[in-house]
Amino acid sequence: MKERQNPKARVDCLTREFGDELLVYDRDRNVGHCLNPTAAAAWKLCDGKTDLSELVTILTRQFSAPVDEPVVLLALEELSKARLLVETERPVRRTSRREAIRAIGIAGAIALPIVTSLVAPTPARAASCLANGKPCVSPVQCCSGKCGTGGHCNG
Amino acid sequence: MKKLDRLGWAEGIGVQSFGVYAGVRVSAAGMLPQILPLLPPGWKSSRRATVQRLYSLVVPQANQRVGLRRMHILYADSVRIARDTDLNQVLAALETDLHRYIAETSPDMTFLHAGVVGWQGRAILLPGRSLSGKTTLVRELLRMGATYYSDEFAVVDNFGKVHPFTRPLGIREDSTYAQTKYNPETWGASLGGKPLPLGAVAICNYKAGARWKLRPLSPGQAALELMGNSIAVRTQPQPTLKRIQKLVKGAVFVKGTRGEAGEAAASILNLLCTGNSGEKV
Repeated sequence: MKERQNPKARVDCLTREFGDELLVYDRDRNVGHCLNPTAAAAWKLCDGKTDLSELVTILTRQFSAPVDEPVVLLALEELSKARLLVETERPVRRTSRREAIRAIGIAGAIALPIVTSLVAPTPARAASCLANGKPCVSPVQCCSGKCGTGGHCNG
Repeated sequence: MKKLDRLGWAEGIGVQSFGVYAGVRVSAAGMLPQILPLLPPGWKSSRRATVQRLYSLVVPQANQRVGLRRMHILYADSVRIARDTDLNQVLAALETDLHRYIAETSPDMTFLHAGVVGWQGRAILLPGRSLSGKTTLVRELLRMGATYYSDEFAVVDNFGKVHPFTRPLGIREDSTYAQTKYNPETWGASLGGKPLPLGAVAICNYKAGARWKLRPLSPGQAALELMGNSIAVRTQPQPTLKRIQKLVKGAVFVKGTRGEAGEAAASILNLLCTGNSGEKV
């Protein structure tokens, strides 16, 4: 039961480090995520064995600055929303961004945890293409990959 | 495919480009001179018996029965991908599909949808969706003395260097698919040859009358944006991320809104000179 409560990072994602940031690519959903240093540090510690209070302690040590529980909870919530944690039976305990900001303080030594996500484009959408309704002679010209019978991109 | 093979083909060519092998065959003799300019920049002739993708262009015969529409039909392997009475439209579809296929399947390179110029030994990338004004900005940078690398793809190797993809600039006179092609030399620009390290990435959305207002991006955020403009990230995520990681080292990144291309181009060059990615560049 305890193990289910401890956050666990998914291990089936591709990761690349950019300084203290982390780029995570979810191959199942074709979504890329950029984890800022705070979110990245929290995600790396999610091994399913470390509980919330231990996360707070370790992160405080890592950043050489006080990291309070609301900040870690916000990080876990962001990671959970991005589906970067293994689903648990119990949802991640929620906290408000305001509570986390209050915990960090105005001149906080660490940044709020942020996860930025972006859906990976299909090849057609990534390259030059036509929007729906534009005249076409081939599906390869359309962002949707569909050139309708009337000779216009659709779908 | 066998049915297509039986049609009888007048001529064809095998092509190797960025590690991808493709072939084009046509049903009428004398068509190749129209095909060659559509091949990707830097292509090499290949004599390999098998190719990864074979294009078959069927053109209407001169003795076709009166009353029938004179259709040009293009197949990629056995799938019909274009059919029209206007040969130029079908050739445009061939060019688009061939370039995109190479971008998607190249084992050696990662293709990012971006305009690219060279400036003082470094590459400037202008990623963006269709009709975001990439080519206009590239043209403006060329007028200011930049070297032309591409108006469509930034081609990134395993060392994170940017290679040229110097197809003619395709400028849309209106918002249709039809593009007028211009040689970069029209604006006195020279063509890029050697691979360059990245200097700057400017992700700008054109907004009429807007002022140049861009904010700096962190390397991680910039990498995410570049991933969002990568042609093959879905099919080759691992090498794509690896090359993007190498690419972004030591570069400057900005994102925001731009107005007219002239002001934006000057600001971008200034960005590279000063290395300043501050709020207002």
